Amino acid sequence: MTHRILIIDDEDDIRQVAAMSLETVAGWDVLLASSGKQGIERASTEQPDAILLDVMMPEMDGPTTLLKLKANGSTSHIPVLLLTAKVQGPDQRKFAELGVAATLFKPFDPLTLARQISAALGWKEGG
Amino acid sequence: MSNRDRISPDENRHSVAGKSSPTQAPDAQSQEQKLQTMISALWDRSRHTVVERAAMLRTAGDLLLANRLDQATQQSAVDSAHKLAGVLGTFGLPRGTDLAREAEVLFGQSTPPGKVEIERLQVLLAELTRLIDRGPIGSS
Repeated sequence: MTHRILIIDDEDDIRQVAAMSLETVAGWDVLLASSGKQGIERASTEQPDAILLDVMMPEMDGPTTLLKLKANGSTSHIPVLLLTAKVQGPDQRKFAELGVAATLFKPFDPLTLARQISAALGWKEGG
Repeated sequence: MSNRDRISPDENRHSVAGKSSPTQAPDAQSQEQKLQTMISALWDRSRHTVVERAAMLRTAGDLLLANRLDQATQQSAVDSAHKLAGVLGTFGLPRGTDLAREAEVLFGQSTPPGKVEIERLQVLLAELTRLIDRGPIGSS
């Protein structure tokens, strides 16, 4: 089964590496957004199977974007995985309280990113 | 000097940054090689951003050494170090991620760093610059 993933990250190179990884390794369809606002719009209109959301973004950060996604009836059901370069414990507890499906860490291994997402969401490996 | 000679074994924690394992199926090797080629091309295109961020850190480090680092530049240094920490390992430079994380912590301290910490910052920023100049395996 081909999954559709929305990647929300303000960093162009991270978006591109993650997209290459998920498309090449798992054969998934990838949607891209460079800001929380754009991501919410794309999630609402295109209904991806999951969202990979960066934490530290200008204007609207990841946790704020997550809260808006969860408060919106058309996107509240979509599982969200946070992607963060932060590894501190208090951040992890805060993210869990916000209702994330999982937290993944930067740097990520492009070869195993799809496997990590599948494992976190209970999807069969390989998409 | 070959690409394999340009980087220490520590730089190769991500399998995508190195050679495929001989035990992998041909399809997996091909997939890995294809992804590696794409990521190498992306590194070449986005290298200038990484270089600019490292240069920003060196400037902030020099200002810190001269006791002239203002709050806005300090915050920019923390942000740049954070971005580098996130991206370098993904491109196959995990040591770069470790160094950038250390820089993020040193620049982000609420109290001014002492002489030992400032000296450590200068050393790690020099190493970070060398790493970025060399680039990951397979980059041009």
